[in-house]
Amino acid sequence: MENAQIIDLVKKVAKERNKIAFSEIFDFIAPKINAYYLKNNLSIDQAEELTQEVLSTIWLKAELFNPEKSKFITWSFTIARNKKIDFYRKNKKNDINEEDIRDFLYENNKSDDYEIESTIKNITQELDENQKKLIKMSFFEQKSHKNIAAELEIPLGTVKSRIRATLNKMQKYLL
Amino acid sequence: MNTTAQKNELIFGYSSGNLGEAKSLFTSMYLYLNSIAAKKVSIFDNMLAQNFNELEGINPKKIKYTDCIKSSDSIDKNKNTSNNPLNRLIGDINNIDWKTVYKGFKEFKIPLSDNDSVKLIKMDPGTSVPLHSHNGKEYILVLDGSFCDEYGEYNKGDMQINDQQIKHNPTANNSNGCICLSITENDVVFFGKFGSALNLFTFIKSFFK
Repeated sequence: MENAQIIDLVKKVAKERNKIAFSEIFDFIAPKINAYYLKNNLSIDQAEELTQEVLSTIWLKAELFNPEKSKFITWSFTIARNKKIDFYRKNKKNDINEEDIRDFLYENNKSDDYEIESTIKNITQELDENQKKLIKMSFFEQKSHKNIAAELEIPLGTVKSRIRATLNKMQKYLL
Repeated sequence: MNTTAQKNELIFGYSSGNLGEAKSLFTSMYLYLNSIAAKKVSIFDNMLAQNFNELEGINPKKIKYTDCIKSSDSIDKNKNTSNNPLNRLIGDINNIDWKTVYKGFKEFKIPLSDNDSVKLIKMDPGTSVPLHSHNGKEYILVLDGSFCDEYGEYNKGDMQINDQQIKHNPTANNSNGCICLSITENDVVFFGKFGSALNLFTFIKSFFK
């Protein structure tokens, strides 16, 4: 689904509490969120439970989404990630509500989507497929360096140095 | 030492959600005070979200969209949503109970269940910390005022990362002093005239942690 189309649906949810619009958002994003949790090694039950929480948040906080700051996909990814962080911390004494803090930072962030988009375009052109894959495995799927080494059949030291080199390569576009 | 790379590692770690509570709190304050760092996080969030977009979906089996529709009453209206991340945890920084370490230098340990320890440091105008280095890494973020050392001047929103290779002698700004948030992975090592006494002090102090 195109971002513009999704923005309209989210607006309908925010302004009119439109359930049909929400069902379309659900059909588009819920399978991705569920797949993300399964990729991150959560059980089927845990993945669905968290997916439900993310969708409830999208329903309740639709008016917080600001299309000038980010794409819908990025906003929903950050909600999914925040739920995962709080899920892992749930068993510990809960000192900080990470989700609240991250909502607060999102609202206070002054970067705009257009500027970010052009930076990402430059970075994406600069990185080769292997480097993108490493970033994805390490930061998106949160695999340990050890697991990445085993999966790609390369030495652990090589994984570490390649990730570092990739981050350094991104650096010049991050100023 | 490439400090920028280390700062980016912190930022990327924050974005992917794999930092502990201490570093997460520290980084959220950094993002709150430093718009360049906040932009970097947005960029990395967007990059990770691209993976999310390309992900082949797996339909949830047990939940339907109607299960996710909640009454807006379930939002906690009393939740503290206007303050910065640190204030939420410890309240107003002007009201905290500082502990004096030596004249002009106070600290406040932030209670968190994490291996890294986080504390606030308050230095009166012109106060210096004797020349020292660090066993583990130390991250310092200026929350208010400024300090300078052999490596430069650090103002509100600036971060300094120190390790074994760095020996420094920070001095707080003469007019405003300085309030910093710091994470230490291990105790510092002091040098110079009072070095051995201060090292002994931190050694003894470690028994009472």
